Amino acid sequence: MGNFFSSMFDRLWGVNKELRILILGLDGAGKTTILYRLQIGEVVTTKPTIGFNVETLSYKNLKLNVWDLGGQTSIRPYWRCYYADTAAVIFVVDSTDKDRMATAAKELHLMLQEEELQDSALLVFANKQDQPGALTASEVSKELNLVELKDRSWSIVASSAVKGEGITEGLDWLIDVVKEEQL
Amino acid sequence: MPPLDKRIKKFLKNSIRVAPKISNKGELAELRSGLVSQYPQTRKDAIKKTIQQMTLGKDVSSLFPDVLKNIATNDVEQKKLVYLYVMNYAETHPELCILAVNTFVTDAQDPNPLIRCMSIRTMSMIRVDKILEYVEIPLRRTLQDDNPYVRKTAVICVAKLFQLNKELCIELGVLEDLVCALDDNNPMVVANATASLSEINAMDPTVVSLLDLIQSHVSQFLLALNECTEWARITILGALAEYTARDCVEAQEIIDRVTAHLQHVNPAVVLSSVKVIIKNLVQIEPESKRIVMTKLSSALVSIMSTPPEMQYVALRNIRIILEKYPTLLTKEARIFYVKFNDPLYVKLEKIDILVRLVDPTNLKQCSVLMRELKEYAMEFEPEFVSRAIQGLAQLAIKCGDVKFVSKTFEILLDLLESQEALKNDCCIAVCDLLRHAVGNEKLATDACQLLSTWPVNETLLLSDSAKCNYVWLMGQYPNKFDELQDKLLCFIENFVEEEPLTQTSILVTVVRLHSKLPGSVLQNVLELATNQIQELDVRDMAIIYWRCLSMPNSDQLIAELCSSVSPQIENTLHTFTSDVLEKLLTEISSVSSIYFKPQFDGPRGAVRHHNVVRGRHIDELKDLAKNELARKANDDVLLDFDDDEEDLVSPRSSMAGGRAQSHMDDLDTLFDFGTSSSSQNNGNDNIDKGVADLNLGQAEQQQNQQQQTQTQSKINSNTQDLLDLF
Repeated sequence: MGNFFSSMFDRLWGVNKELRILILGLDGAGKTTILYRLQIGEVVTTKPTIGFNVETLSYKNLKLNVWDLGGQTSIRPYWRCYYADTAAVIFVVDSTDKDRMATAAKELHLMLQEEELQDSALLVFANKQDQPGALTASEVSKELNLVELKDRSWSIVASSAVKGEGITEGLDWLIDVVKEEQL
Repeated sequence: MPPLDKRIKKFLKNSIRVAPKISNKGELAELRSGLVSQYPQTRKDAIKKTIQQMTLGKDVSSLFPDVLKNIATNDVEQKKLVYLYVMNYAETHPELCILAVNTFVTDAQDPNPLIRCMSIRTMSMIRVDKILEYVEIPLRRTLQDDNPYVRKTAVICVAKLFQLNKELCIELGVLEDLVCALDDNNPMVVANATASLSEINAMDPTVVSLLDLIQSHVSQFLLALNECTEWARITILGALAEYTARDCVEAQEIIDRVTAHLQHVNPAVVLSSVKVIIKNLVQIEPESKRIVMTKLSSALVSIMSTPPEMQYVALRNIRIILEKYPTLLTKEARIFYVKFNDPLYVKLEKIDILVRLVDPTNLKQCSVLMRELKEYAMEFEPEFVSRAIQGLAQLAIKCGDVKFVSKTFEILLDLLESQEALKNDCCIAVCDLLRHAVGNEKLATDACQLLSTWPVNETLLLSDSAKCNYVWLMGQYPNKFDELQDKLLCFIENFVEEEPLTQTSILVTVVRLHSKLPGSVLQNVLELATNQIQELDVRDMAIIYWRCLSMPNSDQLIAELCSSVSPQIENTLHTFTSDVLEKLLTEISSVSSIYFKPQFDGPRGAVRHHNVVRGRHIDELKDLAKNELARKANDDVLLDFDDDEEDLVSPRSSMAGGRAQSHMDDLDTLFDFGTSSSSQNNGNDNIDKGVADLNLGQAEQQQNQQQQTQTQSKINSNTQDLLDLF
């Protein structure tokens, strides 16, 4: 009942819900760089995130509450603490890191099995395209076994956080999907 | 300025409070849903409720990740609440703390100095190794902060870090920054840096040479003294008290600067100033010494108008000072008269001070005090009365005048006759006086006349020392007692049940009077004392007498022993040995000045060990948590958790079956630690405490054994799981 009223209230006053978006991925994939690329449009020098960064940003009249969680092995188990109420997941992959592609795939599928993430959209950034030897988006997609994903809207976008390529395209797609589903 | 409708929207959004859903999952689920709510106000309410539950003692640690999510906010109040929660549960959930690291580091750069300060303070309060690894950058940054409020916190954090991880602290080189902070232009920072340095120095004197630093900064300290808060003043005064002036001019200068603070309203500042002045007093000219003494005495008198607790502290400190400067407060005796509404503990101390501060050559003052004490002896509180009677005897002995002694004696006898209950204390006091007035036959006759009328078999004399004194009196003046033999036999009958003092006294008296007693009595007592008494002193004494008696020329020897005249006692007031006194004078206004026990010199090994134990304990908890998570998540990745921690000395017990041997080693070190700390404690204090410590050590050992068995069983149960996971 309370939920009903509060959602009524939201619509009545046009108060938009914040959309919770998680940025996940192995360590050193470029999550924090993408987050601050989105927020302030600049490349910031980052240190490994121990814990999380959270920023609120407005994008196309939507309020996005973006959580960037650290990717260290030691922190990955705690990702689950942040799954609740998540509209979308952005999974960032270091396209040059061929050795750990399998680990990334495992983490991704493990995460997607979670109950709380069944309804969230997935956007994969095949990041670091500016570097030599980077796998293309389709190669990454193959490595990550993305085709296996059913019942979920997903997309993969080749990106370079440093150059700012592909980030907005990816986000545009994500927002469209999320808008359709959530609002 | 955004348009009006947007502002209204924002306002509404921020102030929406969603009514808590009544769920059947219980309170925790309710709180959790509040914590992840999309409305900031609701989240904040939920945090408050969580902390409320936490302070009530309920375990809300399972909400840790959810509470932690709320740490990223601009709201100072909310941040503070989350920090509070994190601090409280950090020790039980060390592994979850690392999620907060990034926020701490970010907050240390926040534009708001309050947040910067809060983040560094909280970070250094979390006793988790994992956090300490990341403390470097924020700590360095805050030490160089523009805002003195942040700097003053950061310098304290250096000491905290040092306590938690000495090696890391030295490696980071923050100690140099700390030393630089002594030159800071803000007095608060200087004071906190001093406090921090003295803490570090107390933990490990080899790291920084505090004395040299104080020496080179004395002028800064003296300048900062006038500008900082009272607590900072106490710290700086404490540092000044460590410093010995080069010559009489410098000593005079320090005294001049510090004297102003004798007027301070905070008694701790006053006492600290007293400490500094007393330290320098020995060096200055006798002329100016007199002026300083007057100021000192008026400062001490002014503390006597504070609440009783502080009066007590002041009185204990005054007692130390009086021993060095007995005439300091002679003119102020009136201030120390007992007021009817003083609490008992203050009353007792006041009597002690009164007896100490009178000038024994000033007969008039002595008699005034004697009348005062006599009044006290008429009061109703038994402890107070007995202290007053003791005071009377002490006063008479201190004064030493024959007339005065006999007058006191009369008072005591009067008191004896008026009140039955005072018999114990009067008996002791009378005997003390007799020991002082050796050879005064009149006093002895009067005393014995009165005391010999007491029926011994009744339980009149209760306290050990009263009985002891009574028996002594019989031995000393056997001719003045009627029915001496019966009385003594009465005591001997209960010999085994008596306390050690009385037993010794009986033993001595029986040996002294053995010629007057039936032959079997002596034999009997000696046998009892050697066979049935556990007390070593009594037994040894009996054995020695027995030996003497069994020697060939025993009669002569015993006669020699018995007829020896004990020296006249000059003073029954307790005094310190000179080196204890000097140490106590440098520790005025500290706890040791209240207990009259000087601080233990040398590193505070025991304290540090204690922390190590705590750390280990945390580690074990950490492992428990880890194992639980591992089982739940069934995720091998989790076991990598410790990889970057490999260099730490902490025992990661039960991590793998293959490392069981190393656990045993760890446990062995734990075990060793238990014994070594107890032996350190032993060295730390006097012998009678050592016995207690020994017990402590045993308890610790037992604990360790328990831990050992626990861990062993843990290893067994977990090995299988963990091997699977690997």
